[in-house]
Amino acid sequence: MKRNINQLAFFCLTLALLVSCHKYPIDEDGLLITDRSECYVSNFELLGSDFRTVRTKGAEIDTVAQTIEVEVFFGTDLKNLYPQFSLITDAKLEPKIEGKVDFSDLDNPRRWTVVSGNRKVRKEYTVYVTVE
Amino acid sequence: MKSIYFNSILILCMAFMIMSCEEEEYAIPQVPSGLQNDCIKHSLGPNVVGLNMEFAYAMAIKPEEGKLTSATVEASIEGADGTFLSNKSYHTDGSGQDIGIEVGDSSRTNGNTTVVNFNRDTSAATLRYYYTIPEEARGKSVTFTFSATSSNNETISQVMGPYDIAEMDFELDLIAQDSGTAYISISDMQVYTFEEAQANPDKIDLIYLYRSLDDISFGHALVSPSADSKYLPDVLVPAGVNNHTRMVKAWNIRDRHLARLQYGEYVDDRDLLEIDFEEAADYAINMREEAGLWVETADNSYKAFIFINSTDSGSKEMTLSIKRIKVN
Repeated sequence: MKRNINQLAFFCLTLALLVSCHKYPIDEDGLLITDRSECYVSNFELLGSDFRTVRTKGAEIDTVAQTIEVEVFFGTDLKNLYPQFSLITDAKLEPKIEGKVDFSDLDNPRRWTVVSGNRKVRKEYTVYVTVE
Repeated sequence: MKSIYFNSILILCMAFMIMSCEEEEYAIPQVPSGLQNDCIKHSLGPNVVGLNMEFAYAMAIKPEEGKLTSATVEASIEGADGTFLSNKSYHTDGSGQDIGIEVGDSSRTNGNTTVVNFNRDTSAATLRYYYTIPEEARGKSVTFTFSATSSNNETISQVMGPYDIAEMDFELDLIAQDSGTAYISISDMQVYTFEEAQANPDKIDLIYLYRSLDDISFGHALVSPSADSKYLPDVLVPAGVNNHTRMVKAWNIRDRHLARLQYGEYVDDRDLLEIDFEEAADYAINMREEAGLWVETADNSYKAFIFINSTDSGSKEMTLSIKRIKVN
């Protein structure tokens, strides 16, 4: 009986070591390249220069058409907005958002590409902004 | 053999625990001989002309060695009216209240020097010094020398500072009214009526208005006179009033000097100077109580921070306070 318990413990320990030693490669941004192929935007926020939301209501995200439609308050300063994307686990966004973004050219909506965790699936999302 | 080894470890651990738990007996600190002093600065935030810098100066001597006779503060730049050294010694009671007990004559200020002479037998006291920052100190730094004397002819002193005095100005509680004093000048830090604005068109940097519109969250707004007319609905702008003022909305910046609320936040000279107005808008719609607005005047002469103390949609008015720095 005691021998069986020891063997089981040894097996579990070996398994844990094997699992913990599995290494994912790292991409040019220092992020793990994993096995996940899911690739979509789960949430979208738009903040003004005062870091408060400028949305009049929740953004409409269409993961099939790959569009995000967001209506902002009248008088929103469209040249100085901070978009925030929430992505599926392990995905990343290109280009990176590193500060304020100019959304004032409503005829030419801004586009971002979501890249899956395994870096094999890429989906371009278009953000359509309308003013109240 | 194994049990001997185990028991030895156990004994060693117990011995260590017993030794480490030994308490050192508390001893009352010994009061050093001679006159002693110490000082702290009470007031926080940038030192702005017109405001007080507050210090607490503590001094003490053993009763058998003598009594306190005087306390003196010398400022490197003469304080404005209102500068004084309190003649009360303060301590804090159990409920956190400051209790002042008079220990000397009212302070006398002569030039840079403020003195309190003790008129009661006092061995230890903490006096408060209030330095009203004068116009002459703007943009300079100020140093204070606190000193005390005792009846045994001892003197002791402590230097505090140097403290930088801000370049900025401020103005509190201007009331802007739609269809009234709706015209705001940053250069004057005043609000003007239509007629006054017409007489001083160059000075008008912002127009206040309140609108309750269907399907649009407009509310209280501060708008540049030159802004698109859709941001100035039904506003008759006085002739010649056309400054292009740039502004950036802010939130959660409840500057303590302007807001006088419980938050320990301050807008300093550097904050005003570092705001980038390159792509800034010329209007701020839907402004709320406790919101803020960074502003740059059309001629780049001034940068300012406006804090909205309150708004009243019924009377269509806004109470605002301004901090402002001259740039050019």
